[in-house]
Amino acid sequence: MNRRIVKLAAVTFVAGALALSGCGSRADNGSTSSSGATKIAKIGVIAPLSGDLSALGLGIKNSVDLAIKQANDSNAIPGWKLEISAMDDQATPDVGKNAATSLSSDDQVVGVVGTLNSSVAQSVTPVLQPVHIVQISPANTNPTLTQGQDAANPARPYDNYFRTCTTDAVQGPTAAAYLLSIGIKNVATIHDKKSYGQGLVEAFTKAFVAGGGKIAIAQTINPDDKDFSAVVTNVKAANPAAVYYGGEYPQAGPLSKQMKAAGLNVPLMGGDGIFDPSYIDLAGSASNGDLATSVGAPVDTLASAKAFVSAYTAAGYKDPMGAYGAQSYDAANAIINALKTSLAKATDAKSARADTVTAMSSVSFDGATGKIAFDKYGDTVTKVITVYKVTAGKWATEKTLS
Amino acid sequence: MSRFTSALTIPAEKLEKFQTAAHIGGIVAAALGIVSVLLPWSYAHEALDDVTYSAAPSPLQYNYIGLAVIAVVLFAAPLVLRKPGKARDWVAWNTGARFAGYGLLATGFVGVAAIGIESGGLINVDPGGWLALVAGVVGAVSGLVLFRSPEPSMGRIKTNTIVQIIAIAGGLAAVLFAAAFALGLSGAGAFLFYLTFAAFLALTLVRTGVFGWFAKCAADNKKILVLAAFFVAFVFPFTQNGSDANMSIATQVLIFSATALGLNIVVGLVGLLDLGYIAFLGAGAFTSAVLSGSLYSHIHWHPPFIVTVLISGCVSSFLGLIIGTPTLRVSGDYLAIVTLAFGEIFRITMNNLDGSDGPNITNGSNGINNVPELSFLGFNFGDAHQIFGIQVGRFANYFWLMLLVLAVIMVVFVNLNRSRIGRGWVAIREDELAAEAMGVNTFGLKILAFAGGAFLAGLAGAVKAHYDVSVTPDQYVFLESAFLLAAVVLGGMGTVMGVLIGATILKLLPEKLRFFSDYRLMLFGLLLVFMMRFRPEGIIADERRQLEFHAEDEELAEDVQEELIAYHDHFNPDAVTTEDLR
Amino acid sequence: MDLFWQQLINGLSLGALYALIAVGYTVVYGIVQLINFAHGEIFMTGAFGAFATWVVMGSPSSMSWQVAVFGMLPVMILGGIIVSVTMALLMERLAYRPLRDAPRLAPLISAIGISVFLQEFVRLFFGDIPGMPDSKRAIPFPNIEGISGRSVSFGNVNVQISALFTLGALVVCTAFLWFYVNRTKTGRAMVATSQDPDTARLMGINVDRVIMAAFAVGAALAAIAGVAQGMRVGNIDFRMGFLAGLKAFTAAVLGGIGNINGAVVGGLVLGVVESMATTFIPGQFGSPAWKDVWAFVLLILVLVFRPQGLLGAKVVDRA
Repeated sequence: MNRRIVKLAAVTFVAGALALSGCGSRADNGSTSSSGATKIAKIGVIAPLSGDLSALGLGIKNSVDLAIKQANDSNAIPGWKLEISAMDDQATPDVGKNAATSLSSDDQVVGVVGTLNSSVAQSVTPVLQPVHIVQISPANTNPTLTQGQDAANPARPYDNYFRTCTTDAVQGPTAAAYLLSIGIKNVATIHDKKSYGQGLVEAFTKAFVAGGGKIAIAQTINPDDKDFSAVVTNVKAANPAAVYYGGEYPQAGPLSKQMKAAGLNVPLMGGDGIFDPSYIDLAGSASNGDLATSVGAPVDTLASAKAFVSAYTAAGYKDPMGAYGAQSYDAANAIINALKTSLAKATDAKSARADTVTAMSSVSFDGATGKIAFDKYGDTVTKVITVYKVTAGKWATEKTLS
Repeated sequence: MSRFTSALTIPAEKLEKFQTAAHIGGIVAAALGIVSVLLPWSYAHEALDDVTYSAAPSPLQYNYIGLAVIAVVLFAAPLVLRKPGKARDWVAWNTGARFAGYGLLATGFVGVAAIGIESGGLINVDPGGWLALVAGVVGAVSGLVLFRSPEPSMGRIKTNTIVQIIAIAGGLAAVLFAAAFALGLSGAGAFLFYLTFAAFLALTLVRTGVFGWFAKCAADNKKILVLAAFFVAFVFPFTQNGSDANMSIATQVLIFSATALGLNIVVGLVGLLDLGYIAFLGAGAFTSAVLSGSLYSHIHWHPPFIVTVLISGCVSSFLGLIIGTPTLRVSGDYLAIVTLAFGEIFRITMNNLDGSDGPNITNGSNGINNVPELSFLGFNFGDAHQIFGIQVGRFANYFWLMLLVLAVIMVVFVNLNRSRIGRGWVAIREDELAAEAMGVNTFGLKILAFAGGAFLAGLAGAVKAHYDVSVTPDQYVFLESAFLLAAVVLGGMGTVMGVLIGATILKLLPEKLRFFSDYRLMLFGLLLVFMMRFRPEGIIADERRQLEFHAEDEELAEDVQEELIAYHDHFNPDAVTTEDLR
Repeated sequence: MDLFWQQLINGLSLGALYALIAVGYTVVYGIVQLINFAHGEIFMTGAFGAFATWVVMGSPSSMSWQVAVFGMLPVMILGGIIVSVTMALLMERLAYRPLRDAPRLAPLISAIGISVFLQEFVRLFFGDIPGMPDSKRAIPFPNIEGISGRSVSFGNVNVQISALFTLGALVVCTAFLWFYVNRTKTGRAMVATSQDPDTARLMGINVDRVIMAAFAVGAALAAIAGVAQGMRVGNIDFRMGFLAGLKAFTAAVLGGIGNINGAVVGGLVLGVVESMATTFIPGQFGSPAWKDVWAFVLLILVLVFRPQGLLGAKVVDRA
C-alpha cells in the first residue's frame, strides 16, 4: 500500500512539474502598438448590430463612427488616434455581457457608447464598472439604471453610467399629458414585458390616471409573438380611444396592422422604441395616425442637429441614423470631450479610464440634441421630448415639449 | 490473390514493386517538410503566428516539425525492421505512415490556405509554404501506395508499471500543454492549423496502435489516471498568468460538460430522447439565483450555498418527476416532443413570473441580476487571489468549484453505470419489451434516470447562476438543449470521455473560430446531419452502441462479443459457463 | 357572448393554420414513423417562396382586388409550393432516406440539424438573392387587395377576410386530400404503405415514390399555410416555423397521429382552446402571454388520458 501512495505522489508531482514547465503561457495579447507618436484609444459600441433591432443599432454605431472620424480629422486630442470597437449584443443580456467582458479586457478601450436596450444595460454596466470604463447610453430609458431601485429614495447604483436620453419617468408622463390634451381619456395599454416597455407603461399609467384618464384594459404580449389576435380581441372588447404600447417596432408594427385589420381603428401610441421608419414598413398603411414620443428635439430644428444630419448623409453610411443617431453622436462627443482632459496627462488608454469617468461629470457642450451635461445621477440635464405622428407614410413632428 | 492491400484500389500485384519507393518517398516528403520550415512561409506577418522568418520556426512550425519527424520514423521503420517480431508486426507502421502523410498534406493545405486568407492573397505565400504543401502531397501519395498493415496490437506489449505511469503523466502533461497552447492562440488561422495538426497527430497515433498501448496503460492504472487527470485540470488555472479570457471559456466548458453528462444518463444510457433538458439547468439556476440574496430577488431567504445547491437539485428533480410521470409511459417519439414542449413551457413561465402575468418571482424577462459572488469561509469567489505566488482571477475560482461538481457528477455516473441500475438502463435501451419481460422495472428505472439526470443538471445550474451573475429566461432556449444533445451524440453516447470531448469541442470551437460566428449555427445544423449520416455513434464510440448503428458489420459484432465475454469473465471469474458443463 | 363568438372565429382560423401544417406531420409519421422536425421550416420556406415570387413578379402593389385575389395570389401560392416541395424532397432524399433503417434517434437528430440549418440558411442568405430584402429581421408581407386588412362584421363579431381565406383553404385542401387518398393510385398506395410497408412492396408499390409523395403533399399544404400566415400577421420571419411546427405537431397528436382527419380536427380544437384560454381563464394566468403554455399543457393532458388522440391513431404497429 505504501508503494502505491509513493507512486501516486510521484506521478502527480511529475505531471505537475511537466505541465508547469512545459507550457509557455502567451502573456502578450497582441498589443501591437505601432511605433510612432500617435497612441490609440478606442471607443467601444455595444448595440444590436444584427437581428430585429439592427436598424436602430447600426444607426448608433454609424453615428459614433462619424463622431470619431470628425475628432480624428480635427485632431481633437493631440498625440492620440481614436478608433471604434463595435460589438454586437443582439439585444440579449447574455451576449451583451460577453461583449462587455471582451471590451473590458481590451486595454485600449477607454469608453463605451451603449446599450440600446435597458435590459441589456443591466448586464453590461456591472461588467464595465469594476474596470472604470465610462458608459454612455443613447437609448436606455429605464430610470433604475441611474436612480436605483427605489424611486422615492434615488441612489446612484453605478458611477460610470451616464445617458444622453431622458428616462421613462419623463417620457411616459409626456405621452399621458399629450393624449389627455387631445381629448383621449380612455386608453388600453400593452407592453412586451421587457424592462423598457414595462417601465414606460408604468410611468404612463401613473401619470394618465393622475391626470383624470382611465385605463380600459392592460395587456401583455410575449416579444416572440407574431400573432396578436388574442390581445387585439381583448382590447377591442374594452373599447378604448387609443392604445399605448410599451416596446419596440418589430412587435408594434404588426400589432398596429393587426389591430386595424380587426376593426380596432384607433391610434397606437408608443415611445422611442417604435420611432423608426421600419415601424411604418411593418405596419403598412395602417400606421397612418399612429403616434410616438422621442427624446430630444426634432433633428430639423437645432442648428447643431442639422449639421449632424448633413454630415451623416455626406459620409454615405448604408443604414439610416435611426431614432438614436443624434443621441449616439452626442454620447460619443461627450466621451471625446472627457478624453480631452483625461488623455492629456495619460501615457496609455487603460490608465485614463478612471479619469475619464471623473471628467464626465463636468462635460458640457452643445450637441445635436441640445445641451449635453449630466446631473449627479448621470442623467442628462436636457429633458426635451417630441411627439411625432405618422402622416402620409412618414414620421412628422407634431409637438415639442420640454 | 495477395493478402496485402493498399488504400488505393489498384490491385496489390501492381504495387508490389513500388513499396520501397513509397517508403523512401515518405521519408523524403517529411525531410522536405522540415526543410520548408527553415524557409519563410509567408510574406505577411499577420498570417498564422508570424511565419515570416528563415531558420527560426514559430511555435506552430515546431509542432509541424514534430509531425514530420514522426512521419520519418513511421516510413523508415519497416525498411529497418526486416525480421518478423513484435516490433514489426505489432505496430501498424504503414497505416500510421499513411495517416502521417495525410497529416502533412492537411496541415500544409490549411497552413497555405490560412496564410492566403489572413494576409489577403496567395501571393503572400512564400516558397516555404509551397514546399510544405508539396511535401504533404508527396507524403500522402506515398502513404496511399503503401500496403496496409494488419491491425496493431500494441496493447499486448508488457510494460513495467513505472513506465506506464510515466507514460500516463507524459500523456496528460502533453494534453495540458496542448490545451494551454491552443487557448493561447489568437488567430483563427493559427487555431485551425493547430487543430488540424492535433487531429491528425491523434489519428496517426491511434492507427499506429500507440493509443492501444496507452489504453492498456490507462486500464491497468485507472485510479492513478483519473487522479492525475483531475490534478492536471486543477493545475490548469495556474498556467494562465491571471488571464481571465481563457479561464472564462474553460469554466463555461466545464459547466456545459457537467450538464451534458447529466443528459448522458438520460439519452446515452437509457436511450430516452430529452429535448428540453435545458429547462432543468435553468430551474437549478433560477432557484439558486432566487435564494442567493440578490437585490433583485423577491424571496428574502438566503441559505448557505450547500443548502442552495441541494435545493436547486431537488427542484429540478421534482420538475423531472412531473414531466416524466405522464410521458414515460408513451413511446419514445412522443417523449421528444413533450420534453421540447416542456422546455418551452419553462422558458415562457420564467418570462411571465414578473408580477403582471404571474406572481413576481423571477422578474420576468429581465431575470435576476447581480447575483452576489459566492463566499466560503472568507474565500470570496469574486476576487482575484494570490496562490503560491501566482495570480488567479475570478473565473479560476469558479473553475475549481465547477471541477468539484464535475467530479461529483462523474463519480455518480460511473457508479450508477456499473450497478444493477445501470445494467437495467442499458437493457431498457436495447429492447424495452424484453427487459420488462425479464422483470426489470422499466417505468421505475426510467423515472429514476429522468429525475436523476435532472438533479445533476440542477447542481450545475446552481453554480452557473453565480458564475453568470445574471440569470435570464433567454439563456435557456431550445437551441441550448440542441447543443447539449449534440455534445452527447457527437462525443459518443454513454461514454464519459466522449461526452467531455463533445462538450469541449462544441463550446470551444465557436469561441476560437470567431470568423465563423455568423455561420456558427448553420454549420452546427450541418454537423448534426453529417454526424448522423456517417458516424452516428460519435467520436469515442461505445462499441455496443456502434453495433446498433452498423448492424451489418460482422467484424464489429465479433469484437463486441469478445469484449463482452472478457468483461463477463473479469467480473465473474467463478461463474459457471456452458464450457464448464460440457 | 359576442366575445365568445369572436374568439371562436379567431380560434377556428388559427386552428385552420395549424391543421394545414399538422397534415404534413401526420402523413409523414404515418408512413415512416419519423417526426419531421424540420416541417416547421418547410412552412417557413413556403412563405418565403411566395414572397420571392411576388418580388420576381415586380413587387406589384396597386391593382384591383379581382386581379390580386384571382391572379397574383394563386401565382404566389404556386411559387411557395414549388419552393417548399423542392426543400422537402431534397431533405427526404439527402437526409432521411439513408437513415431509414437506423435506430429512431438518428433521423430525429438529423431532423433537428436540418431545422437549425434551414433557419440559419434563410436568415443569412435570403437577403443576398438579388432583389430580396434583408432577412435577418421580419419582412413585411405584400398587401393582397381584397384580403389583407379587410374584414366583415356580423353584428359585433368581426371576421377578417384573411381568416376566411385560411378556413376556405383548409376546406379545399381537405377535400383534395380526401379525393387524393381515396381515389388516386398514389394516394391509396400511401394508405397501403402506412398500414404495412412490406406487403405494399410485395404488391408492387414503389415505396420510395410513395414516401416522396407524402413529403410533397405535406409540403404543399404547409406552403399554403405559410401564405395564410403571412396575410394574417402581415410579415414573415425566418423564425416563424419553430413555434408553429411545435403546435402543429401537438395538433397532430391531439387528433391521432397518422390520421389525416385527426390532424384537421386536432388543429381546429387546438386553435379554439388557445384563443378561448386567453379570454376566459380568469386572473393573471389568463393573460395572452400564457397562450402558448395552454397548447402544450393540452398536449401533455392528451398523452396522459388518451394517447391515441381524439380520432384514434393510424400507425403501423412495429412490435
